[in-house]
Amino acid sequence: MTERPLPLAMDIVERSDTNMVLSMGPQHPSTHGVLQVIVEIDGETVVKADPEIGYLHTGIEKSAENLFWTQASTVVERMDYLSPLSNAMAYILGVEKLLGVADQIPQRAQQLRVMLCELSRIASHCVWLGTGGIDLGAISGFFYCFDLRERILDLNEFSGGARMHPNYLRIGGLRDDIPAGFLEKVDELIAMYYPRMRELRALLQKNPILQDRMIDVGILGADDAIAWGVTGPALRAAGVAYDVRKAFPYSGYEQLDFEIPTRTEGDAYARFLVRLDEMDQSMRIIEQLRANLAGGPVMVADTKYAPPPKETIAVSMEALIHHFKYVSESFRVPPGDVYSPVEGPRGETGYYLVSNGDNRPWRVRTRPASLYNLQVLKKIAVGEFIADMVVMIGSLDPVFGEVDR
Amino acid sequence: MPSSQTPPAGSTAVDPTAVRPPIDDARIVRTTPDALRAELLALKNDGFAMLLDVGGVDYLERTPRFDVVYHLLRGMTAPQPERVRVLCGVDGPEPVLPTVSDLWPSANWAEREVYDLFGIRFSGHPDLRRIQLPDDWVGYPLRKDYPLRGPALERTPRPSFALKSNVAAGTPVFGKTAAALQRQIVAARAAEAPKDGEK
Amino acid sequence: MALASPGEFLLARVDEVARWAQSSSVWPLTMGLACCAIEMMTATAPEYDIARFGSEVFRASPRQADLMIVSGRVAQKMAPVIKRLYDQMADPKWVISMGACASSGGVFDNYAVVQGVDTVIPVDVYVPGCPPTPDGLLYAVNLIQQQIRRGGRGGILARA
Repeated sequence: MTERPLPLAMDIVERSDTNMVLSMGPQHPSTHGVLQVIVEIDGETVVKADPEIGYLHTGIEKSAENLFWTQASTVVERMDYLSPLSNAMAYILGVEKLLGVADQIPQRAQQLRVMLCELSRIASHCVWLGTGGIDLGAISGFFYCFDLRERILDLNEFSGGARMHPNYLRIGGLRDDIPAGFLEKVDELIAMYYPRMRELRALLQKNPILQDRMIDVGILGADDAIAWGVTGPALRAAGVAYDVRKAFPYSGYEQLDFEIPTRTEGDAYARFLVRLDEMDQSMRIIEQLRANLAGGPVMVADTKYAPPPKETIAVSMEALIHHFKYVSESFRVPPGDVYSPVEGPRGETGYYLVSNGDNRPWRVRTRPASLYNLQVLKKIAVGEFIADMVVMIGSLDPVFGEVDR
Repeated sequence: MPSSQTPPAGSTAVDPTAVRPPIDDARIVRTTPDALRAELLALKNDGFAMLLDVGGVDYLERTPRFDVVYHLLRGMTAPQPERVRVLCGVDGPEPVLPTVSDLWPSANWAEREVYDLFGIRFSGHPDLRRIQLPDDWVGYPLRKDYPLRGPALERTPRPSFALKSNVAAGTPVFGKTAAALQRQIVAARAAEAPKDGEK
Repeated sequence: MALASPGEFLLARVDEVARWAQSSSVWPLTMGLACCAIEMMTATAPEYDIARFGSEVFRASPRQADLMIVSGRVAQKMAPVIKRLYDQMADPKWVISMGACASSGGVFDNYAVVQGVDTVIPVDVYVPGCPPTPDGLLYAVNLIQQQIRRGGRGGILARA
């Protein structure tokens, strides 16, 4: 081991006159990831809470600067690892804007992208709901939620090849068309979703213990939420109906019919209800897309950015050369900068991409929704009980791949 | 393969933020460190209530070398929400900018991260220390002259216990190894199969 | 196998029974770091159900856990924490390095990720994948169980 001084995690618990300084984490049973919160408590009440992050810092942004534009989407997917397709979507939309092909993406590709992103949102909320329940002791909810998530990961694997990080969304469209039988599986998912959500709501929503533990805990008002840069369900539970899908629509969302669930109380229970309603709205979007899925290609026609179809490589010299160049050198993106956000399950996840005309990104700056959502813990934890810390962290739903990158 | 220690090729003498195709993602405002706070305060009073993000970019061969990029948002629930991007160039061996964490509390961690990864200090920040990397880390990794794999420290040699087999020689095997399972299956099939001349 | 005395036969049987008991109740430590942690959680979910292999509960306290599943990329800040947690675990203990990042640094060959957790703690089983499917993790737990039953490092008499 290197002779480096131990990080804050390893300092001894101190006791001042009345307050105790406690280090919650970075390894603790609440399964939200590697977070350390240095809390100063007076008896049971939190006087000061200082989250300490960086325990998952991966240097993804530096890695992305050394990979091709097409390859960087693989590392970018691993940021918000609960909804990898949302990250890929934000990054790819940004690159397409820089390339100038944003309006040439085929409609089928756009619809399938939106469908997969909404499925990702439901899967992410399933993890939030399951682990949030475990934190409170509602362990059986975890099993129901993860079973629903399994069906969605099955769809990921069926279309993209991998359960969690499929790299199925590519610059210009999708890697390949969905296989036969995919839409039938989506139908099965839609059929099993509503009874399952009824079960989950019956189990949790009116549960007196859950309500006792969540109502009036971690209240975040609208002005504070805006000042602290909070987006996503936490902002909408505070009363501000801001959703990137409605405010700056992308990829065909303006043609879809869905609502933005909003509450005004701003406590953990409001955030809980907002996320449950969001899952229902996502399923509504998926049903509409399933009914109106367009035919046609799934990759942009411009051959500069699209790899040649695999079947032509063995028979055509030009296709072989094109494929070789695409894989070994990729394409150049014209110089410029763009900010490209999407509405991820945690809020506005965006990428500020800078290109200098090369075939590698010059800078991939993430707008990490979870970082700003987590930072507000410093504000809402003050005055609450230490036992509610876990409830508050769970209701903010941070993902540390995105916070630390 | 592209990953390497050297910074990628390509000149940044051309300022990418000045040469861009028409993209309708945000109104762009360029400012200087002295005018930064006034500019951001004016935008905040003009209704840009949310500071979305503070980020840094290192342009290496350009003057000023760094850009700190602020994204602001207004009219979130209005019919026409609007975004603005404020770019502030900063340079020098010890780049310094005024903090905006008193205008928007969300800037607190974002500025700490820019300090941590680029080395740009923010004067007036209540708690400017490293956030992503250990406190004693030397160097600012997202600068273009910082190698991808980090400073050339001697890699920790692989400990010997990672190479030794951890099955002690001579201990009796208890439980089904793959070979024992295979023998059991073969024996079971032989027992089940009808013998020739019977039944 | 010739035995020197009946006493040795008795000890060998006690040894076997003890190892059988250990291998049938390996309790992992909740060491979830990144994406692999989600697949580890999925391994406890009904579709894959690690509990049927004996890992009924995941203990949060290292004092009570036998197995540390390092699931996810190990950042520079986290490495001393993992070392301390490993030291706090009581003998006998085993380590699974789950995923490409924990085994070798994975996709992230850069300044921020420790290139393999086995530079920090000794590892018994490596699971490839990014992330590995929960099936892969279950197979790794099975391999740990086989290792326990064979004896060796970490066996009840803690031979080196």
